[in-house]
Amino acid sequence: MEKLNMSKLRFHASLVLLIGAVAALYTLPARAAEDANATPVSEDQLIRVLESAADPAEKAMTCKRLVVYGTGQAVPALAALLPDKELSSWARLPLEAIPGPAADAALREALGKLEGRLLVGVINSIGVRRDGQAVDSLAPRLTDADLEVATAAAVALGRIGNAAATTVLEQALTSAPAAVRGAVAEGCVYCAEQLLAAGDGAAAASLYDKVRTTAEIPPTRILEATRGAIVARGADGLPLLVEQLESADRALFGIGLSTARELPGSDVTATLVAELQKVAPERQPLLLLALADRGDAAALPAVLEAAKSGPAVTRIAALGVVPRLGDAACIGTLLEIAAADDAEVAQAAREALQALPGDNVDAELVTRLSQAEGKARLALIAAAEQRRIVAAVPALLTAIDDASADVRTAALAALGATVTANDLPVLITRVVKTPYPNEAADAKQALLTACVRMPDREACANLLIGAMHQAPSTAQVAIIEVLGAMGGPQALGALAAAAKEGNTDLKETSSRLLGEWMTTDAGPVLLDVAKSVSEQKYKIRALRGYLRIAKQIELRPETRVEMCQKALPVCQRDEERTLVLQVLELNPIAPALPLAVSLLERPSLKDEAGRVAVVIAEKVIDADKAAVAQAMQQVVAAGGTPEVVDRAKALAEQAKR
Amino acid sequence: MSESERRHGRRRFLKTTLKASTLLIAPQVIAATALGRDGAVAPSERIVMGGIGIGNRGTYDLDCFLQQPDVQYVAIADAKAARREAAKKMVDDKNGNQDCATYRDLRDLLARDDIDAVLIATGPNWHAAASALAARAGKDVYCEKPCTKNITESLELAAIMRRTGRVFQAGTQRRNLPHFAFACELARTGKLGKLHTIYAHPAGMATASSGWKPAEPEPPREEADWDLYLGPAAWRPFNREILNDGFNFEKGGGLVGGGVLEWGSHCVDLCQWANNSDDTAPVEYDPPENGTMVARYANGVTLVLRNEGWLPLGSCPVRFEGDQGWIETGDSGKFVLSSPALQAGRKVEEIGGYPATFHVRDFLNCVKSRGKPLANADVACYSHITCHAAGITAFLNRPLRYDPQKNEFIGDEQANRLRGEALRDPWRI
Repeated sequence: MEKLNMSKLRFHASLVLLIGAVAALYTLPARAAEDANATPVSEDQLIRVLESAADPAEKAMTCKRLVVYGTGQAVPALAALLPDKELSSWARLPLEAIPGPAADAALREALGKLEGRLLVGVINSIGVRRDGQAVDSLAPRLTDADLEVATAAAVALGRIGNAAATTVLEQALTSAPAAVRGAVAEGCVYCAEQLLAAGDGAAAASLYDKVRTTAEIPPTRILEATRGAIVARGADGLPLLVEQLESADRALFGIGLSTARELPGSDVTATLVAELQKVAPERQPLLLLALADRGDAAALPAVLEAAKSGPAVTRIAALGVVPRLGDAACIGTLLEIAAADDAEVAQAAREALQALPGDNVDAELVTRLSQAEGKARLALIAAAEQRRIVAAVPALLTAIDDASADVRTAALAALGATVTANDLPVLITRVVKTPYPNEAADAKQALLTACVRMPDREACANLLIGAMHQAPSTAQVAIIEVLGAMGGPQALGALAAAAKEGNTDLKETSSRLLGEWMTTDAGPVLLDVAKSVSEQKYKIRALRGYLRIAKQIELRPETRVEMCQKALPVCQRDEERTLVLQVLELNPIAPALPLAVSLLERPSLKDEAGRVAVVIAEKVIDADKAAVAQAMQQVVAAGGTPEVVDRAKALAEQAKR
Repeated sequence: MSESERRHGRRRFLKTTLKASTLLIAPQVIAATALGRDGAVAPSERIVMGGIGIGNRGTYDLDCFLQQPDVQYVAIADAKAARREAAKKMVDDKNGNQDCATYRDLRDLLARDDIDAVLIATGPNWHAAASALAARAGKDVYCEKPCTKNITESLELAAIMRRTGRVFQAGTQRRNLPHFAFACELARTGKLGKLHTIYAHPAGMATASSGWKPAEPEPPREEADWDLYLGPAAWRPFNREILNDGFNFEKGGGLVGGGVLEWGSHCVDLCQWANNSDDTAPVEYDPPENGTMVARYANGVTLVLRNEGWLPLGSCPVRFEGDQGWIETGDSGKFVLSSPALQAGRKVEEIGGYPATFHVRDFLNCVKSRGKPLANADVACYSHITCHAAGITAFLNRPLRYDPQKNEFIGDEQANRLRGEALRDPWRI
């Protein structure tokens, strides 16, 4: 007797520990892996938690653990929770997961004991487990007074999908209450999928047909069955596919379009091509898109024909499809269309040329470029630009002196995208001394486009800097802008020199570009400019650029604060000193504190400096109490907003402790 | 032609062929005047939409949809009254009327015959279940990420979209941004040489589930319907902290938890694309070590999930390495290449800030054409499976092998039990 009591005591003690461990498992967002492995608990112990008077929360977490560790042994304890409104859903977690007949049996047994939503849950679990032995129990539920129960039963039978379930559902398709028929149809569709997966396409098609032709089936189920009936038949499903594509019903036409993409085979492509001629013009673009998604080049001749003539919407659609199916052989047709009068159609053709795939497309475009004229020439130049065809450079170098301004402008843009370092001087010369002053902006843009993609940036910058010396003032500004876009040490040096020593235009441009510089090496340059230029406007601009780097570009906090320290003596206005305070606030480290305190002496900044000093002090107090105590005394002495003074006093007090 | 160019072309194509889609869109009973503004798109050409679970992210998505000239929102469903009303106000302000209907129960919204498509931005607990309900109700679906809670849901969701013929777009909008598309294209087309390592930022990899928190007084159902909020998640008493954290509630399910899903559903998705593995998943997974997790594909490519070591290119970065070059990019819209020559022949628009507008447009175009958006259900299926498999590996803290054909772990029954999770009554996928 005494022995037994001790045993009970030990059991309760271990149960308490176990419950504690399980509770910790869910209350802490802990790594479940660690919990699972670090606190091994036997299945027996978990079962005992379920059978104990533990809180529902603890039982719930135990259910979760049984998903991984449970076996048939745990099933009775879990099944006992199925009628519990709070824990039923938790119990079904392991009951759906634990393999073996025990869980199936327990769920089947629960069918006769539950009702309402809890019964629906159990039926759903049976469906997930595909328990073939449950068919006889589920079949009568198709006529259950509770519509949710009947619906769940139909779907579960479909999930099970064996011969018995299929027979039940097929019969119910016409005999079940109308309200359940949609669910029965859904179940039939699942059964048909399983027939198809098992290789019985004929049986699947037959079942799909029955669903789509039965009365009082919801339209969405009919669509599913229609798609299934086509797919199950394969090539033999084409007539049914055509029926949908020609249907006046929008939804059926839609399911035809999506199924046309899904169904493999050249026969399907041929069928769609044939349909292209039959359907109304407003449907042609949608068929063309379906052909494009199929990716079958056999459709290309029909697509090209559609591109040549007919309604504009169809032509534009066809031209959009050409790059997805076509190759170099399409170039001639596309060029003819690109030279046509309809602007939108012509533009679509130009875009198709630019996107046409194939290894020999570029070569063919270059060959034609030297011979083409008019709109075709412009289309080819645009294609050379978009495709970045380096081999087109010789022809483009000729085209920049074409009699047509449109051709010259297009060729400059294309050269920007294609020229290599060898021919870069041509673009530099165009900027330094353009023969067409009205096209100076085009020349500069082309040079910029070319320079920013040069692999040897520094060599390119040297070329530009060398050219600057002989260039007129406007060209110097243009080159500085190009250097600014390129970045790099050489460009930075050139901009620094221009900002300090250049003429007004150069100073204006270079100081602006320096202020936008994206790398930290501009910091010292900007500080130097801020110190050395005499004009207030450029001094301020440089200083603000320097502080922008300190604030925005990725740097260590120590470096940012150090930059602030260097900036403060150069600051002449409160606006820049305020920027310094912003940087300090964002980088609350010990060296930032005396800098913020140093601005207390300026009456106009006293409040803000005090506030920032307090923010910093709150962060660094543990690291340097003495410094914080001294700084806070200065904040208090300087006065400021009551809230800041109070915080400073509290920090000073805290620092003394 | 790159995929992004193809889509770009398609955007233009559809812009010029809007009229062709008329037959696919249900004619509207709403008067043109009720649509407000200039009526540039005829009512018969509009896609009529409803919003389900429009919180923080959903508000952004909704705004992207409302910017589209051919979209007409008519209804909002949310278990929380405050969010219902806030979203209704957005819609009404856009439409210039007070006609946007509100529903507490998403099933009432889905029962409307006039709605063509829905935006689902509930929170991960509901994403897959709501998407399944919507597809079965005949609605096309734009669903925020992560779209599923486990491997089974991922497979089922793809099957449902295939079965119902519905258009589905996962809210992984980076697939429709030029710099990410360009990076993936370089990898996919061999421009980087033989691809060997792809990197994704998961934004953490801890597996933490939502649990059961202390019971608190439950508000009236009209204010916050707790039963609907819990939806497919196992029951627990009302708790406001859980109610207010739909962003995290049941992310990755109640068994395994979020794991790498937060950014992984974006970054892993891009890696899947880069590796031409949209229809499969890695076959081996190692548990996390020092903030890094490694998985290997059958084609020999290694997927590295790492939280550190990235160039400063913004959030959600990815990096693809081949034996002839590499590219790294992120949400800044910028990218870094091992050689500028890799960009030869390409102009890549720099779009920072990861806008969803292009992704939304891709979805809407496909609603009209019945084509597949870039982040369609099949694509999302294996991107999510990869994340879930990584999460299960972290949860069990041991190496796992996975068979992407059978979609089961090899020789690890415990891991296989974590592939799915029972849904609370009466919900099902």
